[in-house]
Parts: sequence; C-alpha cells; structure tokens
Amino acid sequence: MEEKVMLIDVSKCTACRACQVACKQWNRLPAEKTQQQGSHQNPPDLTPFTWNLVRFTEIPTRDGGIRWLFRKDNCMHCEDPACQRACPVPGCIFKTAEGAVVINQDLCIGCKYCVNVCPFGIPRYDDKTTKVYKCTLCWDRISWGQIPACAKTCGPGAVTFGPKDKMIAQAYARAKVLGGDAMVYGDQYVKGTHVVYVLPEKVRMYDKLAINPSVPISVYLWKDVLKPLSVLAIGATLVGTFFHYIIKGPKRPEEGGNEHG
Amino acid sequence: MAKPKNLIQASTVFERVVHWVLGGSCLFLFLTGFGLMFHSLSFISQVFPPIPLFSDLYPGGYSTMKLFHNLCGLLFAISFLFALMAWGKDTLYFDEDDKKWFRVLGGYLWEVKEIPEAGKFNAGQKAFFMVLFLFWFIMAATGIFMWFPVFPPFLTRWLYVGHALGVLVLGSFLVIHFYLGTYGNPGTFQVMGHGYVTKGWVKKHRPKWLRDVEAGRRSI
Repeated sequence: MEEKVMLIDVSKCTACRACQVACKQWNRLPAEKTQQQGSHQNPPDLTPFTWNLVRFTEIPTRDGGIRWLFRKDNCMHCEDPACQRACPVPGCIFKTAEGAVVINQDLCIGCKYCVNVCPFGIPRYDDKTTKVYKCTLCWDRISWGQIPACAKTCGPGAVTFGPKDKMIAQAYARAKVLGGDAMVYGDQYVKGTHVVYVLPEKVRMYDKLAINPSVPISVYLWKDVLKPLSVLAIGATLVGTFFHYIIKGPKRPEEGGNEHG
Repeated sequence: MAKPKNLIQASTVFERVVHWVLGGSCLFLFLTGFGLMFHSLSFISQVFPPIPLFSDLYPGGYSTMKLFHNLCGLLFAISFLFALMAWGKDTLYFDEDDKKWFRVLGGYLWEVKEIPEAGKFNAGQKAFFMVLFLFWFIMAATGIFMWFPVFPPFLTRWLYVGHALGVLVLGSFLVIHFYLGTYGNPGTFQVMGHGYVTKGWVKKHRPKWLRDVEAGRRSI
C-alpha cells in the first residue's frame, strides 16, 4: 500500500458538519450530551467519542463585521507520532502502511502518556472505559481501498483523500491560487503529517491549531536520552562494582569477620 | 531472636522491617517500571493476572502491571516516611569526621592509612540517604501526577522526564547499595538480616557508635 494523505481545504468548507456525522456513523460512536457555548461549534471540543470536529473561529473585521473561519479538526496522523513514542504497550499505537496512526483499545491501559505528548492535543481519555480514543483515518476503510468516511461524505470537496505526493502537490497549487496569507500546513511538521491543510489565513488565526508543532523535546529527553542512559548507568555500576571487588577488594574487619554472615 | 554470644545488635526490628518494605517495594517498582519502559521486556507483564471482579478494567498483562506499579508506588512513598523516622536523625547531617571521610572517600577507592571514624553511619551512607530522600520526593511527586494528571499536558510531559531521571539515579544507587551491603563489606548484610554483627565488624565500621553504645549514650 502506498502512503496516503487527507487534504483539508478549509477555504472550501461550508461548516455543514456532515463529516462529523459520517465519522460517528462509520465508527459507531454514540451521540453525546452537549452544551451551548454561544457558537455553532458542537460539541464544544473533541471527546473520546467525537473524533472529528468542525471548529468555528470568529474574527472581527475593521468594518465592524465578522469573518468566520471553519476548521475540521482531527488526528493529523504524524509520520513521527509522539504518541507512539510514548506508549508503553508494544503494538497498542501502530502505524499502517497508508500512514494512519491507530490506537488499539484492546491493548490500551489508560496511562494517558499519548494524551500528554501529542503536539496537536488530539487523543481523549474516557473515564468509563479507562481507555484513550481518537481518529483512525478510517484505517478499516482505507486498507480496503476506500476513502475515509468524512472525505466520502464531504459535499463541497473540502476533504479529499489520495496518494501522498499527488495530494501535497494539489495543496500547494491550491494555496498558490488562493494567494495572500494562504499556506499549506502539515507536510513540514513531525516528518510530515498524513492530514494536510490548505489554510487561507495565518496559522494563529485558527483556534487550537498548533504553531510549529513538533515532537516535544521532553519526549526525546525521556525516551531517547534518559532511557538508554539509565541502562548504561546501571550497567556501568554493575561492571564498576565487579572490578572494585577484584581490584580493590572488600573491606574486611581486622578480627572475627566472617565472609558474608 | 535471642542475643547470640559474642555478637552485637546493630539494628532494631523496626529498622529491618522498614528497610525491607522500602527495599522490596523499590525492587518491585523497578521490575514493573522496566516492564513499562522497555518494550523488549514485555514478558514481565505476562505474569500479571486479571483482577477478579474488575477483569473488564484490568484484564491482566500491562493493565494489571500498571495498577500494581501505582499501588506499590504508594507503599514506597509511605514507607519512606518511616525510613525518615528510623534513620533521619543519624543521617541528615555531616560532622567534621564526615568531611575528612569524603577527602579519602572512606578508603574505598585507594589505599588510605587512616580512615576517619564513623558513627552509626559513615559519610557515604549519609550522602546515600540524602540522595534517596531527594529522589523519593521526585519519584513520588512525579509518579502521583503521572497517575492522576491534573496539570496541563506541557507540564505533565516533564514529569515523565523527572521519573526517568529517578530511574537512572536510583537504579545506579541500588547496584552500589547492594554491593556495599554484601560482597563489598563482608559481615554487613546481617545488619539488615538478623541484626547481629561481630565486634570486629563494629570496630571497623562504627567505632564512634560502639563507644556511644558501650558508654550507654545510645542504645542502638
């Protein structure tokens, strides 16, 4: 299977939220009680059972009006996923050949490491099942040659899915057409994401969108520095004490000392 | 245990029980912690069975191992408070002899004509306990908020770093502690074993303490 990319062109999004419904339907995610927060954004945030959410940002304009920005938010499916680096259980977070990053809830132990290291703030922990959930890029569809449910249902063609190189080329072509501040977001971070945005505005204009996301430095320190160093240190002290014994020798009492008793 | 002939009691029952609860929980935390840290040690998780009545939340393996690691962490955290009661007053200070001891590192690394006299604990043991004190705090504080992450993610990530640093330091210390308590200092293990040691051992390792005990200035 070749690597795939989901392209989200937010300039084409009409915020119909059909993608949210399609996601719930395909993944059999239950409806949830929600809260009116003075916005069309519903539910207010991603949850263990809402893996896909259209975020609404209102930006006042100079002439007293409002510009309305929509952004479909879901897992970015990093090529270098911090969540997978942090996960203590082998195979619990895995990557498919297409580039989807998936949590296997049968193996999840609810440690929440992935929740706390994700540079995009995506995974959500559920208290009842004590497990973590997020978008799977519909890996159970794309591995059979289908496209993700959200892309399948998207009316205005804001969400498309296809071979990585083709989609990224399309993204840059589209950003060029849009002009101004328009940019491509995703392929330049965490060794490339398998969800790529075309943003007509600067990154900071969009709510909850990470600026210059990367695998946190704390994750490198933890997993790539301290982890091997602790093995080295413990091994070195073992070897050190052994050589101390055979070179310097034990400290024996002058009289009446018994060997180890 | 009845006092054996020609042997001197070097530790109380309280000290020995506290030591082994602390040490036992520490070893268990290392075992399960390594199981959580290294995918290659996943076999450790396989000995943990499902928890009866809660088998949907703890179906065995990693889930149970993590639960036991967390609970054992509580035991370790609490037992150190008793360790402070047992050894705090004899370890959390340095005197003049201790400074001299550090200058020759107790004669452990090179030949030293005269090793400065130690009381119940020498300067190295005191330093060991102080480092243990510091990292007990680091491990307990980071551990509890890794278990119940109430801080925002960008802070919680650094708790993982602190916890891993504790593994490095405490792991190395554990090896050295094991060596110095057994093969490195023959006769020492029984201080934490049945509690009785030879007079020769006491003269070598605790001369000031022996004088205090013989003069009735302290019991143990």
